[in-house]
Amino acid sequence: MDDEKRNELKKIIMDTKTLPTLPGVVNKLNTLSENDKSSVQEMAKIVSSDQALSARILRLANSPSYGFYRVSTISNAMILLGVNVVKSLALSSSIFEIMEKNSVGLWEHSLGVGVAANLIARKLGLPECEEISTAALLHDIGKVIISLKCSDAEREIHRVIREKRVYSWEAEREILATDHAEVGNWLAKSWFLPDKLSEPIAYHHDVTLSENHRIKTSVVHMADVIIKASGFGNSGDYFVPQIQKEAWNALKLDDQLMVEIVEELEDKLVEVKNFSLELQGSDATTG
Amino acid sequence: MQKIPLMLTKEGMVLARDVFRNDSATGIPICGKGTVLTESLITRLDHMDVQSVYVSGHPVWADGDRSLEDMLQDLDRRFEKVRHDSLTTKLYDIYVKYLKRSMGDDGGRREAE
Ligand SMILES: [Fe+2]
Ligand SMILES: [Fe+2]
Repeated sequence: MDDEKRNELKKIIMDTKTLPTLPGVVNKLNTLSENDKSSVQEMAKIVSSDQALSARILRLANSPSYGFYRVSTISNAMILLGVNVVKSLALSSSIFEIMEKNSVGLWEHSLGVGVAANLIARKLGLPECEEISTAALLHDIGKVIISLKCSDAEREIHRVIREKRVYSWEAEREILATDHAEVGNWLAKSWFLPDKLSEPIAYHHDVTLSENHRIKTSVVHMADVIIKASGFGNSGDYFVPQIQKEAWNALKLDDQLMVEIVEELEDKLVEVKNFSLELQGSDATTG
Repeated sequence: MQKIPLMLTKEGMVLARDVFRNDSATGIPICGKGTVLTESLITRLDHMDVQSVYVSGHPVWADGDRSLEDMLQDLDRRFEKVRHDSLTTKLYDIYVKYLKRSMGDDGGRREAE
């Protein structure tokens, strides 16, 4: 019964015709292979040809989650952030747009986790910080899909969270027989995102399930826990998840590092708030 | 002292640290510590892409007027499911200390009134 429900839901959710309209150029991006030099330039050209999309990508590239001062052109973004990141920003830009407008709390939660993940990754000297930030920005994308595709169920989920005082994924499993992490993974797969992005999305609640990218997944897990501890944004429930021992160990964290991370993060969150306020301000004036 | 987004600054607030171009904290400050903010100065800082400034006291209360006790109570509520876990409790303790320090340094909200 639950399996049936889940498969049914997967069909509904993954029906691309009813997914938020992806810009036409995004389909073209998926046909280009990522490691080919000529396609990097090709890709920059394709993305730049869509002005609205370029603007949205650059806005995200300039968000505090990446920690660059100014990324002014798409080819610049490709160089600084990497092809993978720009491609995922292109793919998810319409979903971010929905989040910015309709669920400011989740948007701020996602931006906050992006910033926290970037901070942790840099502090630990990890490679591919930009990928980690991107995975963190996208980690709860399944929630947006659930809210778009199953708004009735979403209301039920919120009722269950309130009444039973459970985590959002517990309520989701009760109502939908799946959760936002799995839904996010379906989406990531249908977009052909590399598994260094899809694993943190899929397993940010349980890093032990991550096989190839345990470190990146652990960073996103920790960033999510810390942002919920700080109370920044609103991810649907306010309960801080338990820190997984496996994540803590995988990153070789210790008390002193945690103190520094919290300190630096809280300082940065002011900028994140500013960034989010500015976006809402600009949306309000442009209609 | 409180770090606040430029968008939330108001006339009359006093800079608690020098302000630098691009929030970079290097180079020549564009506005000195102790300066009283005016509308035109805020506009100028905005044009120079300043994102945030440090001001004296604790003039901005993010979620209405919140005292340290309120914030600690919220923190307790957020951690209510994980207090049995020793790793997660480490994070709780760090936040308690952080809040006490950041709210306490200017005497909390009494000074803002
Ligand atoms: Fe989540
Ligand atoms: Fe989250």
